Amino acid sequence: MQAFFQFTVEGLTIGGFYALVALGYTMVYGIIRLINFAHGDVFMVGAFIGWTVLVTLAGTHLPIVLALFVALATSLFFSGALGVVIDRVAYQPLLAAPRLSILITALGVSLALENGVLLIYGPGFLTYPHLLGTAGFTIGGVQISYAQTTMFVISLALMFALYLFVHRTFIGTAMRALAVDQDAARLMGIDVERIIQITFFVGSFLAAAAGMMEGLYYTQINFYMGFLLGLRAFTAAVLGGIGNIPGAMAGGLLIGLLESYGAGYISSRWTDVFVFLVLIGVLVVKPTGLFGERVVERM
Amino acid sequence: MRLNGMRGVCGLAALAVAAVLAGGPFPAPAAEPIKVGVPGPLSGPYANAGIDIVNAAKLAADQINAKGGVLGRPLEIVAEDDACDPQTAVQAAQKMIDSGVVAVAGGYCSGAALPELSTLHRRNIPYILDASTNPRLTELGYKDVFRTIGRDDEQGPFAASFIANALHAKRAAVVNDNTTYAKGLADATVAALKKLGVDVVYNNAITPGQLDYSPVLTRIASLNPDVIYFTGYFAEGGLMVKEARELHLKPVFMGGDGNNDPTLLKTAGSAANGMFITCAPLPQFLSGAKTFVDDYTKQFGHGPGPYSAYEYDAIGVLASAIERAKATTPDAINAALAETKDYPGITGDITFNAKGDRAVAVYIVVTVKNDEFAPYMQLNAAGQWVSMQ
Amino acid sequence: MARTDPALRAATARMLIVAVAAGAVVLPLVASDYVIDVAISIVTFGILGLGLNIVVGYAGLLDLGYAAFFAIGAYSTALLETLLHFSFWETLPPSLAFAAVSGVIIGYPTLRLRSDYLAIVTLGFGEIVRIIANNLDITGGPNGIYGINPPVLFGFEISSPATIYGLAWVFLLIVLLFTRRLSASRLGRAWISIREDETAAEAIGVPTLRVKLLAYVMGALVGGFGGSLFAARFGAIDPTGFTYLQSITFLIVVVLGGMGSMPGVLLGAVIVGGLPEALRFLALWREFGFAIGLIVLMLVRPQGLWPARIARRVPLPEDDAGDLRFAGAEAKRGETLLEVKDLGRDFGGVRAVRGVSFTVHRGEILSIIGPNGAGKTTVFNCLTGVIRPSRGEILFRGQRLGHWAPHRVVALGLSRTFQGIRLFPNMTAHQNVLVGMDPHHRVSLVGEILGLPSARRDTREHLGTCRRLLQFVGLEEAAGRRAGDLPYGDQRRLEIARALGAKPELLLLDEPAAGMNPTEKTALMGLIRGIRDLGVTVVLIEHDMMLVMGVSDRVLVMDHGTLIAAGEPAAIQRNERVIDAYLGNDTEADETAGAEEAALWDS
Repeated sequence: MQAFFQFTVEGLTIGGFYALVALGYTMVYGIIRLINFAHGDVFMVGAFIGWTVLVTLAGTHLPIVLALFVALATSLFFSGALGVVIDRVAYQPLLAAPRLSILITALGVSLALENGVLLIYGPGFLTYPHLLGTAGFTIGGVQISYAQTTMFVISLALMFALYLFVHRTFIGTAMRALAVDQDAARLMGIDVERIIQITFFVGSFLAAAAGMMEGLYYTQINFYMGFLLGLRAFTAAVLGGIGNIPGAMAGGLLIGLLESYGAGYISSRWTDVFVFLVLIGVLVVKPTGLFGERVVERM
Repeated sequence: MRLNGMRGVCGLAALAVAAVLAGGPFPAPAAEPIKVGVPGPLSGPYANAGIDIVNAAKLAADQINAKGGVLGRPLEIVAEDDACDPQTAVQAAQKMIDSGVVAVAGGYCSGAALPELSTLHRRNIPYILDASTNPRLTELGYKDVFRTIGRDDEQGPFAASFIANALHAKRAAVVNDNTTYAKGLADATVAALKKLGVDVVYNNAITPGQLDYSPVLTRIASLNPDVIYFTGYFAEGGLMVKEARELHLKPVFMGGDGNNDPTLLKTAGSAANGMFITCAPLPQFLSGAKTFVDDYTKQFGHGPGPYSAYEYDAIGVLASAIERAKATTPDAINAALAETKDYPGITGDITFNAKGDRAVAVYIVVTVKNDEFAPYMQLNAAGQWVSMQ
Repeated sequence: MARTDPALRAATARMLIVAVAAGAVVLPLVASDYVIDVAISIVTFGILGLGLNIVVGYAGLLDLGYAAFFAIGAYSTALLETLLHFSFWETLPPSLAFAAVSGVIIGYPTLRLRSDYLAIVTLGFGEIVRIIANNLDITGGPNGIYGINPPVLFGFEISSPATIYGLAWVFLLIVLLFTRRLSASRLGRAWISIREDETAAEAIGVPTLRVKLLAYVMGALVGGFGGSLFAARFGAIDPTGFTYLQSITFLIVVVLGGMGSMPGVLLGAVIVGGLPEALRFLALWREFGFAIGLIVLMLVRPQGLWPARIARRVPLPEDDAGDLRFAGAEAKRGETLLEVKDLGRDFGGVRAVRGVSFTVHRGEILSIIGPNGAGKTTVFNCLTGVIRPSRGEILFRGQRLGHWAPHRVVALGLSRTFQGIRLFPNMTAHQNVLVGMDPHHRVSLVGEILGLPSARRDTREHLGTCRRLLQFVGLEEAAGRRAGDLPYGDQRRLEIARALGAKPELLLLDEPAAGMNPTEKTALMGLIRGIRDLGVTVVLIEHDMMLVMGVSDRVLVMDHGTLIAAGEPAAIQRNERVIDAYLGNDTEADETAGAEEAALWDS
């Protein structure tokens, strides 16, 4: 039983990262029905920008908390902007084209980001400074580190902030309107292109936050890190019901847990098989994911 | 036809120029270079390893050329991306053949090395493997395959002996990452451990590329092993060392030679202190190789990768073979390579056996002390463990 | 896009094919082994692209795990050769069988999913197959399988690049022929119809689930075929050759080239196989260059480099033997065809339809009228199986409906049109009708693919009926035009022809006159009577009272989900409740709206 709780703690830790990245997939999908394959790489770029700023500031005598804040702010802003640029350059011109063409440009952007970072930073691993200690506490034999707790709380806080943003602000309402019916939203005077851009900004912003948190927590970053995590986050978004924001959060945590239990009770090398089988099982029973998705079918 | 005509005109022009300049100080025409192919992943997730290998080859060639080259001709490195993909690998091999390489030294993924090897074998072009430790590659009966790195089935018994006889462990967990190299090493280690009477409580694989291996470690810890031997690569190794420390796990953490990379130290930080790694003597611990590390770092701005030294030696062995063969035909080079005996490489003396493997593969155990790698123990001639500290 | 002369285009195409063929034959004689190897890779991409094109291009199903079939073919060949000592040729049939079975396994759970969910599920299957190959001992784990013998033909070993190149071309030509025949078969038409509009396809009789499953199976067959070739070429396989990235690469071949377009897919293969090789000089910049190239190409040609064209050639035979009469209907005129008892349907808390009972007799024309939101279309949807009734019973030709899939209802003789037109816009008019007719087409798929004489004869007959149907609705001239380009009224009539293609006993028309001008309406009345004269019973929903009163034998009136009146047109016009329902005695009734409705009565 102790092992079970330990697995749970570990699953929630990684699940928090998945959830943050999954939100970006789900928001973009909800609005323009695109599986944004480049999203995992935005997560990676966020981690690299944060690393660059942190390493640059390490030479100065800035207090560590301030340095972290500057790095976070820079990373989130520039990654958000990157999301907007990707949308403008690679997606907007193709919104009217067959849906798969835009999927291919998304793959192209993903490849370009990975290889761009490879060209700038080299193919090796870079290491974040070890800022988080390994200290922690124990509840009934279950090890929980302060770093783990902090990461999880920040993830939850960001998700809650997003929830408020989407449900309590005018822009959030416009986003939801867009998700239901783009043409109607346009007729109601909503600047559709702008809202799409904001969506990309917010999604990329959250992915970059996850990227920097990943760097700080696991310390090792690499141009390829967005690939596997992106895949997991996408799986999470679908599991929760793609297009559904609370679904993505729940899906992320659930995938983290599944992975943890799978690795703990079955075997790490079968984890992916386990996760995908659960996903397929859920979709067979509930074709629109756990939390479903509102699809307007017109006859 | 037209090309020939052009060449004719150029030739006449050159003659004319030569005639005009005749009598003046005229530099000896540069000898045609000897081309050596270096395949490796230069794109995709393993680009890191490929670039380290190509860099080492270039460094070796530069140093050889500075000393007058081979047979009076300079060595030229022809690097081709095999992307660790079989299809691209065949094309890379063909491309190297077309560009006129006399031999090939390099490779990283076994999955790509095998198609390369078959393609090169059709032309009898020698291939010296620097990083593929899979035993099967030299078991195909080809006379044109050699390798400067030891085989999994040699390192495995060595690691098992250390676990049983030096650490006196009773229970061991062996973890691989389901790649050819790591699985081979794990299998060899487990077999040897069982022979030595050590209880293997866990023998399984992780999925590489993930971030959090805590659940696997928690699971392993619940089986109470005395030692955890991870046979995969440094990226996952570093994370596992770090995560094991965060979980306050008791077992000793130990890695195979895929872990002897500075990245592991940076990722794991102080958590790496006290861990062990089985590997061939690292260049930095070999007096002969100290300069290699310095030269490499000076030329490329970062330290060599885990296979750089083997690639450096591969080029060196090849150069010495060509020098002895006094010819650049595949058969001559193959024959000379097969006769290689006690070539003083930076990874130890190299002698190839009948299969093309190193006759004596030397391993040591390294530990991490004060956040740095330090030699720990080795086997003496009598098969006993002696300290190197 | 300028329309060129078809004859000229055909000539250009023929020249292009000859040029490509000549180049392909000459290549191994002049090129170096490197070039030949690149060419083999391109041919391999071509084979897999054509296979994936069935799934993605024709059926419109996203597949991110196509490498799984490739892997299954390769591993089957490798295992059968190394363990059971089969020859390469002997491994082919079992490899194809395994691939086909895996197509069923992968296809089955995904059938009810929408396209984007398919993406992740197929991706998951692709990964599962790779991980299983990587984890099992029999497949050699990460080492894979070594020592697969090269194919031997008449004592000659196929192992040099030039001979493998030849073998690869033979494989490609087989696949080309196979996919070409498939795309022209009724299965090919069914795939395109579900890509265009799945709900409509199901509602006119296409068994969409089976058709989708067959798309996976056919795609899997080709993928497995390519996998066997791959194993023979390398003599060794391991799981790194079958990753998710491979699946993505195959998808790029299809989408970049042009979905559903065979020359496009082959062009895509040339680019995906050749461009990275051509960019080798870029060294580390190579992948980056490829990525940028991919984005730019997609932005410049969103439809693909060589988009699929609609086949405008109309292969409709001119012979006029046989007529459209639906045999046997005449005799049973007047008997009960359809009986609806106490039908009810709720949407959430809203009771859209309740307690509706009525009977339809053979040979009559029955109209259902009522204000918007009265529940008329919901009744149609319940009858055709598009939605399930919450209560009540539907008896059609004595059979209980209600829980049947729409295509089975169609097969029983009940077909329909839609309120908002739901043609397959990117198919020609005659192809639309053919899709409607195909469930009755008895020719076997194998016959169609092999081009057997019996199949050709059946197909001729089939096409003849199609022509007569188009003639019947007056669209013979428009047979070769894209359905989406037809004028509105023509689209309505084409939809009727498509529904008639299913040889229905009962035809449901949902607002057939909507958007028509008076002349077209008059013609439509004639058409509806004509349909009845063919022996088909007609039920229509309509707002146009002139039409309703003009053609109907009986009229049903619905309001607020219930039936408020039934009777002959003249009686309905005098019915108080009907007048109330239309003019509205409610307080919210609007004067002008009432006036408009009143005007409708007079029109």
